[in-house]
Amino acid sequence: MKKLALLLLSLLAFWSVANAQTLVFGQSRLPISLDTATDGNSLTVGYQIVENLVGFKESSAEIEPLLAESWEASEDAKSWTFHLRQGVSFTDGTPFNAEAVKFNIDRWNNQDNPYAFAAEGKDFTAWPSIFTNFYGEEGYIVESVDVVDEYTAQINLTRPLGYLPQLLAAAYFGMHSPKAVMESGFEYGGPTKGVVGTGPFVFVEWIDGDRLTLDRNEDYWGENAKVEKLVFRGIEEAATRLAELEAGSIDIAVNLSPDDYEAVSNNADLKVVFPDADLRVGYVGMHQANKPFDDVRVRQALAYAIDKDAIVEAFYGELGAVANEFIPPSLIGRLENDPYPYDPEKAKELLAEAGYADGFDTQFWYMPVSRPYYPNPKDVAEAIASMLSEVGINAELMTEDWGIYLDDYALGKFPIYMLGWSADFADSDNFISPFFSRTQGPDGFGWNNAEAFDLIEAAQSAGTVEERTAIYQQIEQILYDELPAMPLVNPRSLSATRANIEGFLPNPLGSTVPFRTITKN
Amino acid sequence: MSAYIIRRLLGLIPVLFGISLLVFIIPRAVRGDPATIILGERAEPATLERLREQLGLNRPLFFNQEGFQEKGIAGLFDSQYFQFLSKALRGDLGRSIFRLTQVRDELAQRFPATFELSIVAMFFAFIIGVPAGVIAALNRGKLLDTGIMFAALAGVSFPVFWLAIILIYAFSVNLGWLPPSGRIDISFEINPITRLYVLDGLLRGDVRFTLNAIKHLVLPSIALGTIPLAIIVRMTRSSMLEVLGQDYVRTARAKGLKQRLVINKHALRNALLPVITVIGLSFGGLLSGAILTETVFAWPGIGKWVYDAIAARDYPIIQGGVLFVAFIFVIVNLLVDLSYALIDPRIQYS
Repeated sequence: MKKLALLLLSLLAFWSVANAQTLVFGQSRLPISLDTATDGNSLTVGYQIVENLVGFKESSAEIEPLLAESWEASEDAKSWTFHLRQGVSFTDGTPFNAEAVKFNIDRWNNQDNPYAFAAEGKDFTAWPSIFTNFYGEEGYIVESVDVVDEYTAQINLTRPLGYLPQLLAAAYFGMHSPKAVMESGFEYGGPTKGVVGTGPFVFVEWIDGDRLTLDRNEDYWGENAKVEKLVFRGIEEAATRLAELEAGSIDIAVNLSPDDYEAVSNNADLKVVFPDADLRVGYVGMHQANKPFDDVRVRQALAYAIDKDAIVEAFYGELGAVANEFIPPSLIGRLENDPYPYDPEKAKELLAEAGYADGFDTQFWYMPVSRPYYPNPKDVAEAIASMLSEVGINAELMTEDWGIYLDDYALGKFPIYMLGWSADFADSDNFISPFFSRTQGPDGFGWNNAEAFDLIEAAQSAGTVEERTAIYQQIEQILYDELPAMPLVNPRSLSATRANIEGFLPNPLGSTVPFRTITKN
Repeated sequence: MSAYIIRRLLGLIPVLFGISLLVFIIPRAVRGDPATIILGERAEPATLERLREQLGLNRPLFFNQEGFQEKGIAGLFDSQYFQFLSKALRGDLGRSIFRLTQVRDELAQRFPATFELSIVAMFFAFIIGVPAGVIAALNRGKLLDTGIMFAALAGVSFPVFWLAIILIYAFSVNLGWLPPSGRIDISFEINPITRLYVLDGLLRGDVRFTLNAIKHLVLPSIALGTIPLAIIVRMTRSSMLEVLGQDYVRTARAKGLKQRLVINKHALRNALLPVITVIGLSFGGLLSGAILTETVFAWPGIGKWVYDAIAARDYPIIQGGVLFVAFIFVIVNLLVDLSYALIDPRIQYS
């Protein structure tokens, strides 16, 4: 009897090993790099291996402690102190401590840091896009990192910044093992070297074009991941990704085509998954270097002429909501009203006032590629152009190669054009200052509004949430009145899982989805 | 014969040199550069400039005048093109701008995938296409002929993309017979030898691996094979018709030889010559990668790789990839020319 029990037990053990739980995740491509890349396909993988000081609450844009247990700002918000979680190690045995935090931030911040590998062509593009610039260059924000003690790091800034923790929660800023970076050199983060972090999964293997495999970190400091193995596959074509999911050879497929919403929701073997709203906005820009868009009445007429509800209904359905402002839902500083409801008569009146009673000819540019905020740019462009023609604006539809498009819109070559934005970090500033600040990036609108410039700087250094909310509302009011661009849609991306998958919770920021909580039954 | 081969190989040098110039100039002549693509929607002018500097995009393209003043002739050639050329001659194709990986390594990963798929697709096209062409020729003007030629026309006109999706839904999703995409199930370790998975499986004596690799090849090679298939059918038919009208075929028939013998031994052998040319040329085409087939079947081949590099302006990959494909193409052409001599003893090279 005893022998039989033993036999059964060993059989059971064998069975559970043979059924080692592997979760297969289908995304459009394998990563570009696990160290420096800023695309979702790279970040989603990296987020399972390396962890940030600051994390996100489950499927929310709200932050919570991760590798830092707590933090506080100095009175003037120019220096921030982070208290680190103790007893955490990188999976190569290197202890996680304040030195490691300093090592990581220094190599991002300073192009001359030997481990930035700038000379070898590595580029931390995320750093200047979030912290204005690299150390020592115009407008740089991070001055230095001090190791106060083993588990306390202090980040010193050149100017007050009320939301540094939000920035550090961005998917780009995971903590890497200093030892692994030093040993691997500039190939760190590539297919041959992978990355080493403190997270719930460990890098195993990356076969270019085929798959990338992670194993569960059995010594994780928190609760261990539920699945033992994680395999990422790059399947570019959304239709194939869905077929793989239907065939059961992958467990999760992200970024499916909005057209497949019906098919997925009617399939009992699958489950539809999407966040409440992605932190993304698709807008229609008007560049004031082009007449007659220098006239605010013409810009407003365009907004009245476009039936946003109809467009979102037709091209997004369940997967999008009309955007009336740049700041997306769930962030602070929104005004929550629709200043330009669909009203073609009003549009015609405004055009007549501006001296265009008979309308005018112009160009409408749409992007040649599908982006998360505009999955079907051409269809949307055609719909908008036909609405514009109703009020006399004859817009010729134009497009060009994406690499050139990104140059030309900022040169003011496009009178009207489609573009959008996906959040780097979960703060209203990320939907305002990249477009409308004094130190703004590409000038897409011919925007020069001193009042807005001052308000944006005030909001960045303001201390309390109430203060910041009030200032962002003022900024949004200016954007309503001046209308440099018309926000159109807050999309949400469609993902689906097999019915036996639980705990896959997409995040509004896209890439910051922890797979630790996923179970496969 | 060997003198001929040597002459042909020497002739490759100016061809490849010309191609190296073209693949260097064309991507740079098109507006938009890697820095713009990397930074995407968030490209600030200062950041752009810094990144261009860092990626070496601001360095002289062909002749470095400053370098000439400082270091003389050696400095003159310290430019993007001549560095690419001198490295390429030593087998170093540089590193991807985006991934920092060796182009040579990526090529070594991807070309076998394309090669394996091309061979199987061509095999499929050949074993279906030649008999179909012969049957059509023998039944000239009859319903069978019309049927085959219509199917061939339909095959070449049917968008590969849709054919691929239909195949996937029919055989993978609904019937569950074949995998929808990829080269091998993820449960298999790869440990590559030649990186031709079927061959690797055979070399290791791993039957399950081999069968799994073959299963993955079926649908993409059918989808890809339809393109050369249609051409092979048409070519075989017209070539057969021509040969069947020749005197020696009439003589063979007059001798009282059986129809099968006449067709196989006398007619087909001669009719195949132009078909081989077509196969050779389209095989060269297949080897340069099939963007649509590779995309739909998530097949990690060379076509999609170069295509993506063009969209992203990843110059080293465009240069290395196209140069390599061009090299393969001219080699295949040479082999086709040489194979004539084997099939037709009347042809001799000197």
